[in-house]
Parts: sequence; structure tokens; C-alpha cells
Amino acid sequence: MKSLSTTQRAGLFAFASLVVCLLCAWLLFGRGTSPLQTDVLTLLPATERHPLAEDAVERLARASGDRMVLLVHHTNDDTAKDAAREFGATLGKDPVFASVIAELPPFDLDQLVTPFLPFRFHLLTPEDRAALTTPGFDPVDALKRRLNQPFGANVGAKLTDDPFGWMQHWLDRQPWNRSALVPEDDLLTAHRDDGSYVLVIATLKGSSYDDVVQRQALATLERAESAMLAKHPGATLLRTGAIFYAASARAAAEHDTHVVGIASSVGIAILLLLVFRSLRPLLIAFVSTALGVIGAIATTVLVFGQLHLLTLVFGAALLGEAVDYSIQYLCARANAGTTWNAERGVRQVRPALLLALATSLLGYSLLAVVPFPFLRQMAVFAIAGMAVACASVFWLLPALAQKPARAPLSPALVRLALGWQRVASGRRALLGVAVLCVVAIPGWLRLGHDDDIHLLISPPKALETQTATIRDVAGFGGGSQFWLVEGANTEEVLQREEALTDRLQTWVADGKLGGWTGISAMLPSARRQATNIAALTPLFSPRERMSCWLGQAGFRAQGGAGFVAAWPGRAFTLDDWLAMPAYTPFRYLWMGGGEHGVGSIVVPQGQDDANLLRAAADGLPGVSLVDKPASITALFGRYRGYADIWLGGALALVGLAFVWRYGARSAWRVLLPPAAGIVLSVAALGYLGEPLTLFHVMALMLVLGVGANYAVFLREGEPHVAHLPGAAYAGVLLSAVTALLSFGLLALSTMPALRHFGLTLLLGIGFTALLAPVSVPAPKNRTA
Amino acid sequence: MRRLIAFLALFCAFAAYAQTPTLTDDVLGHLAKHSQVRAEFTQSRENPALAEPQLSHGDLLFVIGHGMVWHTRDPFDDTLVFTSGDTSRLNAQGKLERVRDGNRGVSQVSGMLQSLLAGKSGDAMRQFTISAEGTPAHWSLHFVPRQSRVAKVLAGITLKGDDFLQSIEVNLASGERTFITFANTRDAASLTLVEAKVLGIP
Repeated sequence: MKSLSTTQRAGLFAFASLVVCLLCAWLLFGRGTSPLQTDVLTLLPATERHPLAEDAVERLARASGDRMVLLVHHTNDDTAKDAAREFGATLGKDPVFASVIAELPPFDLDQLVTPFLPFRFHLLTPEDRAALTTPGFDPVDALKRRLNQPFGANVGAKLTDDPFGWMQHWLDRQPWNRSALVPEDDLLTAHRDDGSYVLVIATLKGSSYDDVVQRQALATLERAESAMLAKHPGATLLRTGAIFYAASARAAAEHDTHVVGIASSVGIAILLLLVFRSLRPLLIAFVSTALGVIGAIATTVLVFGQLHLLTLVFGAALLGEAVDYSIQYLCARANAGTTWNAERGVRQVRPALLLALATSLLGYSLLAVVPFPFLRQMAVFAIAGMAVACASVFWLLPALAQKPARAPLSPALVRLALGWQRVASGRRALLGVAVLCVVAIPGWLRLGHDDDIHLLISPPKALETQTATIRDVAGFGGGSQFWLVEGANTEEVLQREEALTDRLQTWVADGKLGGWTGISAMLPSARRQATNIAALTPLFSPRERMSCWLGQAGFRAQGGAGFVAAWPGRAFTLDDWLAMPAYTPFRYLWMGGGEHGVGSIVVPQGQDDANLLRAAADGLPGVSLVDKPASITALFGRYRGYADIWLGGALALVGLAFVWRYGARSAWRVLLPPAAGIVLSVAALGYLGEPLTLFHVMALMLVLGVGANYAVFLREGEPHVAHLPGAAYAGVLLSAVTALLSFGLLALSTMPALRHFGLTLLLGIGFTALLAPVSVPAPKNRTA
Repeated sequence: MRRLIAFLALFCAFAAYAQTPTLTDDVLGHLAKHSQVRAEFTQSRENPALAEPQLSHGDLLFVIGHGMVWHTRDPFDDTLVFTSGDTSRLNAQGKLERVRDGNRGVSQVSGMLQSLLAGKSGDAMRQFTISAEGTPAHWSLHFVPRQSRVAKVLAGITLKGDDFLQSIEVNLASGERTFITFANTRDAASLTLVEAKVLGIP
């Protein structure tokens, strides 16, 4: 390596950079599907002790995943129906939708009933089973009562197929009968005081999270909506579905990326131009930073297989830190004047940059060990970006900055830096810090905390309102609370679920629960089916008795023959359940064949008190309540608690590094600015009334990393610019302002977590940069 | 479902509201004047699978805005109470037990009933084409399903009557026919305590 010249090394680095750029371009655009991820769920940490529970959370969230659920509303019934029909037809023309259902397909009752005939004796409602096993059950009386019901018998199975109505009762309980929507004029409708609602369901050909699918489907929807509104004034469209949540998250993240990315780039560019008064340093700084970002993107996609848009938002803010390394190098160049030698410059800044890089990496790697995908991706992104940006200073920049700088650092900045440095160093400054820390105490005492999941997920209110209305009108539930039933095999899961649902049944009767949806209402366990058969067996042994009873109740001899001959049929199995088209929408309730074992989901309706729901699972083996929002909130709180300890640990580690470099007697001075910055930012948050969240504490770790850099830059840089008082601190201020520009802009983010991050960094970096002069002796003393 | 549709038709008839034609308005308006009605009923059911029609007798109480008590006396004793949103059975101990099966349909009907009583016939008009013949003193109303899904099951419902409703005929597409006749129909002057209680009348 030693034999390589500056240009050879730079050539190699440029070649490697080109390869990484190409790799990055291929990863982003060359593979058909975009690795950009907009699904917020993928960022949430795994909170459940069992991977099956995590699977279940995901399944439930995706149950209506690739569908748009739309309700067309109008005060006039006919208009609502016409509008929905035309609207459905318009959507249906676009190939981005696999299917659009507004008008129902021709309906054949037989198709719904006939598949159940072979299983009818195995499937009984709890009430029928109880009636059959009651001593003194009189079959003739039961038949008579059914035949003489007011206003007629059942619709569904033929009277001769189901004389007692057992099958009819069973079918009535099936979940598709629970929707609040009624078929009318071949449309699914609901009538409210404020008019009619008509359901339109559009299934996407592809994933809700696929960029191309998302854009095309939303564009078509918007066109169809405006066409509908133009033709039917007064019509409104309510919408819900993962795609809308994904699109709003994407729009918010893109907005943030643009604001933070563009604003900070422009701001940094102007700043660099003002300070270096030449175009070349600006270009050099941008090449270094851009390489850092590209390296970060490529590494993140390679490690995680995807890049979340929110990471990109954070990455845009990271520009401000990555640019620090080149700024230090460029400052050294400007300060050296005509004596500049590119290689010597590298040697001069190397210790400072390496120490700064080490402290940054330390801060970020602490983020990476948190089992939390969002923070982990941010950390990997930052580590890769920092490392590449720093490496570019060592290997690429010397070739680009061979010639001495045309102009020294802006004298105004240097004067300003020196002025403040005089104020903020020496004994007086230490006293000032002590006073500030005392002032900080009330702020600390005022500090609250907040661990709500809405820090990470905050969908627009309008969308939440529409989702709630649709849930209300159409009865589509879908909460984030459910019971998970686990077992060794299908039968055990079903039996365990029945233990739960038997209990829930009494709760429904007591009004403690509105209802529930679970597979055991469709597919009873083999044991329960055997119980059903056992309850019926006495009636069919011998079969002639049943024929006789049917005759006594009034059936023709041939009328009941088919029914008697069909006994006992066969058991309904999981395969039968899976094969039945009517059950397709409910398959998400069953978790079989996955890598995490067998299980099922039971979704409660009309009750969201987690304690009550949890009590339903008490004492039932293999049954537990999964409440993802509550789990996340608990997790945030727990991590926030740990974070203090980590922060203390990180401070100790950085302190040790400083002791190693500067000796025990000076290390505390270098550590003082970041430590005081942290104390003061937390106090400021308290005074601002901001409750402390996990994200504030995470940001404090970065404050430590970045703040330590400033102290190091100042401490390391000062001896090299003895001829130019204030120049080293000017470089630090420049770094700080670029960081403030980019991280500070995060405070404008639409996502609360990033906003908190940004605000904390804004405060922390601000305080640290202002306190940095404490780390070196006062300039006055030194020059004297 | 058929039971419910017929039930609905009955409520339509009692509920005193319609748009066209005039005779329908007259008839419904007339019926609505009797807000509490008692009658004896005979229900006959014919089905191709049955050797002979099934006959049941009993009496009923109908209260507009509250519901109906359907008391079958023969060939068995059974009292069903239809109120908004619910079907219940009055057991031997005089307590109401909710009848779970078919509940969904009944709740739909009670929803329709509520809207009818609120002066909105929209639900019935959406479901049926209603035609009338005869005079207000001797009339019949025909309800033919407008929805093809319903029409596949329900052929039609015919109500006949004079001052009161005299008969209901329900024809299913399968050939099943239910014919209910009413006799001794009169205004119910007062309700028993149990009746008031099960219908939720204070």
C-alpha cells in the first residue's frame, strides 16, 4: 500500500466507488421490484414471545391487505346505486385491479348449500346439540314445531334434506351471514338515516406496497372518483385498505425526504460557499458526502434486502454529519494556505477523524443492537455512510485537493469563532456550565414521558375517520387485538379454540362481548364432531325409527328417505374447509403449514378492553391475547428505561477512549461539552413540555457521538492552526451548523418519532457546539 | 328468510305508509288506525314433501311500534315474541329466552320495521313491487320481490282483508305455500302485564 501514490490510491478508490454506485443503481432500479419499503409494520419490533404470534399479527394486518374497501354514499338510494355501479365499472377497466366487485355475480343458493350436505350430521350448533342431548327429546315434536313455525320454514337446504333445520341453523351461524350489508339490486348495500351506502371492493393485481401498483391504482381511483362526483353531485366515497395507509406513509416520507434532503443540501452548499469562498471545496465536500450516502444505501439494501423510506428520511439528515469529515479536511487545506500538501493534510486530520469516526460508530452501533428494525436499519445506514465518507477523505480527497486553497477560511467566521471561544473557555466558562446545569434541574423535574405507538404510526385523521365509518356501516372489524391459539396439531388447536369460544359464547349471552370470528365456528374439532354424531346416533339406530318419525310428522314416505340414507355422512376436515370457496375470505384465521407451527386466530368484536379480553384466556392452555399496540407501548417504555443505562455506558466508553488519547487529567474537559449538551437538551425538552420518548433518548446517543466529534476536532485541530486563532473552532462551528441544518430539519418531519429525533439533535448539537471551547484552554492564555 | 320477508310484508301492511297506488295508501292508512290488534290465526303449510298440509292454530297480539306475540296453541304450545332486533321465546317459567337461530334476519326485519314506523317506506319499496286490487272494504295487496336473489326463493306474498287483515299467503319458488287466516280480529283494549313486559311497553 505504501508504494501507491496519491493518484493511484484515488484511482482505485474512484473505481471502487464506481462499482458501488453501479451496485447501488442495480439494487435500486435494476431488479424489477423496488427495494424501497413503505410498510410501517416492517419497522415495528417483534414484541411477542412466540414467532407464531408475530406471524398472526402480520396476517391479521394483511387480511384485507391487497384490497380497497370502498363505500359509495348518497342521500338518494337510486343515485348511490347508479354511482356505485358506474364507479365499479370504471375501476374494472383498469388492469391494475385483478377484480372489482360492485355488482354481485349471479347468485346460486344451491352452490352455498350443496357442499355442506355430506357433513350435515357432523355440524351442529351448540343449541341444537344441547336440545338433542336433553333427556326426553321428542323428534316428532321437534319436527312439528319446525313445520309449523310462523311464516314458514327455512330458505337454504330443502326441507327433505334438512327436516329438523339443523343444517339451516349451522349455515345461519357462518361468518358470511354476519355482515351488516344486504344484497339489493345486485349490490351490497346498507341504509342509514343519512342515505344509502353501497360497497365496492377492488382487489389489486399485486401488493399494496408495490410502488407501481400503488400509484396506478390510486390514480385510477382518483379519476373514477372525480368522474363519479361530476356525474352524481353529492355522492361521497369512503375508503379504507392497506394501500391507502401505505400511500399516505409514502407521501409523508417522500415529503420529508424532499424537505430535509433538498433544504439541507442547499443550506450546506450556501454555507460552504460563504466559508470557503470557492467552488472546488463545495464539490469536494459533496462528492465525499454523496459517496457516503450511496455506500449507505447499497449496504442497507444488501443487509436488509430493502430500504425503508423512513431510513431514507433519516439518511437525508445524515448528510449533515457525513459532510463533517470533508469539512475538517477542507478547513485544514484553507488554513494551511500556500504551504498545503494534500498527503500531509491527511496525516494531519487523520487522528481527529479516526477518533471522531470511532465515537460516532460507537453511538450508532449501540442503536444497532436494539432489536428494533427501524433503529437497526438507521444504524447500519449511518455506520456505512460515515465509514465511506471518512474513507473518501483519506483516499480520494487528497487527489482532488492537490492545489492549495485559493482563499483562507472566511475571516468573518474565524473572528466570530474566536470571539465566542474567548467567552466560552477558561474558568469563567466552567462556572457558566455549572450555573446552566443548576438552571437545568427544574427542567429535568418537569419531564414527562410518552411511549405510545403513535410515535411510529400516525395515519392521517381523515383516513382513520373513513375506516371507522366503514367499520361502523359495513361491520368490517379488524382490530389489532386477538387471541392466538397454539397447539401441536390441527386437532389440538381446534379443541383449544373451542375451549375459548365456549367461554366467549357465555360472554356474548351476558353482553360482555359483541361476538367473535374464529375457525372453530366453521370447522369444529374432530372430537366435537364426534360428540355431534353421538348426540344424533340414538335417533338413527335403527334408521327405520327415523323414517317412522318423519312419517308421523307428516312427511311422505319417499320425502324423508334421502335424509335417512345420508346418515351419518363424513366428518368435515381442514382440507374440506380449505377447499370451500365460501371460506376463502376467512383463511387468515388459520395458521397451518408455516414454519412456526400450527395455530389459529380468534378476533373479538364489540369489546376492546384488553384486561377483559385477556381474562377470557385465563387458565386455557395454548390461548393468549395478543395486543400489538399495547405490546409496542410496553416495549418503548422498557427500552426507554434501558436507554438511560446505555447512554451512561456509552458516555463511559467514550470517556475511556478520551482517557487513552488525552490522559486522565484532560479527558474530562473533552467529555464535558457532549455531557453538558445532553443534560441541557433534556432540560430544554422539559421546559418545552415535550414528554420524553424512546426516540429522544436514542437521539441523545447521537448527540453524544456527534458532540464528542466537536470536542475532538477542536482539541486535535488547535495545535495545527496555532498561527490562526479561532480557525479550529471555526471548522467545528461549520460542522455544527451543517449538522443543525440537516438534523434540525428532521424536526419538521411528519412522523412524530423523527420529529422528536430532530428536535433533540437540534438542541443537543447546538448546546454541544457552543460548549465545545471548554475542551481546550482559553486562547487568550495560550497566546499570552 | 321467507318467514322474515312475509313478516315484513305484514308490517308493511300495518305500518300505514306507501307511495303508490292510492288504494295501497288507503288500505295501509286504514290498518294503521288499529295500533293494538288481537286475532286468532290458522296457519296451513303445503310442501311437496309433506303428505298433507300442516295446520297450526293460536292467537296473536300485534302492537305497532313494539312488536308481536305469536302464541301457537295447537299442535303444541309455544309463544314467540318478535320485537325490534330480536326473536324470543316465552318459556314455561314466564321468562324470555332469546332465539338465536335466524336472529340475523329478524334483526334486518326489525330494522326495516323501525324505518317504516319512522315514516320511511323506502326499505319495503326497494324490496317489493306492490300492487293492489279491490276496494278499501275488500282488498288484496300483492308483494312481488324486486330483487332477483329474493325472487329465486320467494315467488310472492298476497295480503287480503277488509277493515282488518284477513289472510296472508306466502308462495315460495320451491312450491311451498303458507296460508295464514285471521279470525275474530279486534282492537286490543288492554294488554296483560306479561304482554306489556315482553313487548317492552311501559
